Amino acid sequence: MAQYLPIVVLMVLATGFAFVSLLASRILGPKNPNSAKSAPYECGIVPNRQPAQRFPVRFYLVAMIFVIFDIEIIFIYPWAVMYHQLGTFGLAEMVAFSIAVLVAFLYLISGGALDWGPVKRLSPAEIITRPYTGSATIRRVPRPEALLAGIEPMEGSAPDAPAAPSAPAEPDRVPATTGH
Amino acid sequence: MGGSHLALVHGLNVAQQIAFFALAGAMVLSALRMVTTKNLVHAALYLTVVLAGAAGLYILLAAEFIAVTQVLVYIGAIVVLMLFGLFLTRAPLGTGQDLDNNQRWLAAIIALFLFGVLGVTLQKGFKGTHVNAIPITDGGSNTAAIGVSIFHDFVVPFEVASILLLAALVGAVVIARRD
Amino acid sequence: MPGDPLFNNGLNLAVALIVIIKAIIVFVVVLVSVLFMVMFERKVIGHMQNRIGPNRAGPFGSLQSLADGTKLFFKEALLPAKADKRIYRLAPILAVVPAFLVFSIVPIGGTITIAHHVTRLQLVDPPWGILFMLMLSSIAVYGVMLAGWSSGSKYPLLGAVRASAQMISYEAAMGLSIAAVVVLSGSLHTSAIASGQHGLLHFRNHTVPLPAWNLFRTWVVPFIIFMIAVTAEMHRPPFDLVEAEEEIAGGFNAEYSSLGFALFYLAEFMNVVTMSGVTVTLFLGGPDGPRILGHSVGPFWFVLKLFAFLYTYVWLRATLPRFRYDQLMDLGWKRLIPASLGMLLFVAAVRTGSRGWVIGVMVGLVVGAIALMRALSVGARTTEVEAASIARAGRRA
Repeated sequence: MAQYLPIVVLMVLATGFAFVSLLASRILGPKNPNSAKSAPYECGIVPNRQPAQRFPVRFYLVAMIFVIFDIEIIFIYPWAVMYHQLGTFGLAEMVAFSIAVLVAFLYLISGGALDWGPVKRLSPAEIITRPYTGSATIRRVPRPEALLAGIEPMEGSAPDAPAAPSAPAEPDRVPATTGH
Repeated sequence: MGGSHLALVHGLNVAQQIAFFALAGAMVLSALRMVTTKNLVHAALYLTVVLAGAAGLYILLAAEFIAVTQVLVYIGAIVVLMLFGLFLTRAPLGTGQDLDNNQRWLAAIIALFLFGVLGVTLQKGFKGTHVNAIPITDGGSNTAAIGVSIFHDFVVPFEVASILLLAALVGAVVIARRD
Repeated sequence: MPGDPLFNNGLNLAVALIVIIKAIIVFVVVLVSVLFMVMFERKVIGHMQNRIGPNRAGPFGSLQSLADGTKLFFKEALLPAKADKRIYRLAPILAVVPAFLVFSIVPIGGTITIAHHVTRLQLVDPPWGILFMLMLSSIAVYGVMLAGWSSGSKYPLLGAVRASAQMISYEAAMGLSIAAVVVLSGSLHTSAIASGQHGLLHFRNHTVPLPAWNLFRTWVVPFIIFMIAVTAEMHRPPFDLVEAEEEIAGGFNAEYSSLGFALFYLAEFMNVVTMSGVTVTLFLGGPDGPRILGHSVGPFWFVLKLFAFLYTYVWLRATLPRFRYDQLMDLGWKRLIPASLGMLLFVAAVRTGSRGWVIGVMVGLVVGAIALMRALSVGARTTEVEAASIARAGRRA
């Protein structure tokens, strides 16, 4: 047990340091709070609505998958320590274990459980900016109607701009350049 | 091995006793606070303290690898999962929800019953047994001993466990995806 | 050789004193190295961006970080209105304490004799050695997560959830790449891992003119995976989505001011120093290096290698743009985890020394890689179909 003494000593030192310095700064620093200072920081905009109530289920899913991977990794360590004694038998065991892990992993990936990307379109969106040219490193700014072309169909849009058939509809987001 | 060594072992034992009671006290207090607090995140944190205390007890019993597993899996993964679950379902920034309900006496009775059963079982099973909690020092370590027993003596259970984990993963994803 | 020889003859007053002195030295060294690292980073990044960097406080601006720290002491400690008071104050401590502790398992090299007590130049050498580092990094998640939650503000919460998902995702890859090192060393003791990398590299009965560092013995790939995972774990650029200023206004510590903020800052830079130390120990032989004038100068080589890593981290920060969140998750889960698992098997197969096994495992890895590719394309299509159905549902509504 004695070998853990240094950890305990260092932990006490570090915790003490953090506590004392926090305390010292509270004593030394000025104290004149007001409502603007204690409001949630949102880059100067006064928050007028409650923050989002829920988080995407992906985060939960990742944590859940991690629990299982963590257990699998924990299994690997005793194996790794003893590997030089287990020899090829150990390798065979680990190959079998890895196959189980791989099958689970393939299931996850092929089910799209680990996809975080923005919602993708079935048909690729048209290119609305030209690629860089060899002569200049400045990107060309597209014309406004070209910007709208790939987004969504709406009345008043330019007739030569074909609406992408499978573009996700977002009725709330009318670009400011057209309607108003 | 003279008297000084024995005295040393004795001194260590006293230190272990003190550490045990400090840890156990902290665990009991946090466990009580965990069920009485009205803030879900606080409850999760008190649970973390209980789990960390259990890890400390494992270290006192010279079972370092179990202690590491306890921290990595329970504190590092499962409580994080719980916190994500809280963020996911409850208003994450809202405090002061009323978490009490009128079943607490029933829960208390069940908890006491469980405590009684476990206590009696431990008493019957280990009464008077002296368990030597002295770390393995002859070149090997606890982890190595566990490695031998998992990968040499209990190979089939280990592979079955890996299949079990596979099933758990698939099940978790199926449940979470079709919400 | 397990454990520190300091405790071979039990615990007495002298030993306890040595322990306390060692702990204080580690504490001070880590703290000073952080002050240095902050200054170093600002200077180097300044020069990389064609500016001078801090040059006012002290000679060449060397006291800049000390001045900044002192300033933060005298700033007002704000408490956000919706904050959860106790946790809000606890979070910086939870972030900084694990950062301090990681350095305790790093061997700096050799032993030293103080008053007839032989001890290693390493604070502690527990039997679970390198697992201690994994343990602390899983505890460090809490500092970030609780800071974001307890602030009672939306951007810190977003940053905290991002950060914790990122940290746990890369922990898996990190654990697997360390396992490849443990396969070679056969021990979790950091001192044994470091000393096992001594000498020249042997490959199939030939001596290769390279040091026998785990970097080469594990065929480089686990090292790269470990570096990436560590960078993500510390949320250093290019993985600093946690504090993406443009998106979430500074992230999990946006509501912290004064010393609370200083402690997070301290923890972040301390992690750079200590994790560089861990990387040197795991992959670059720790204090291993040629003797100079007949003396073994482990600490010198250790510090030199450490510097190389500190510079690399600054360099990465100056060079690479930030990842997007889905790219980050894709890299962590779909690339690094299978790659590190494959490399673990490969390293283990090479270690057996049997040609049949090596070829067998390599064939298996190729088959696995093909299956993975197939799964990736199937997964992408599944997601697309799902997205299309979501879009259709949205249009109908």
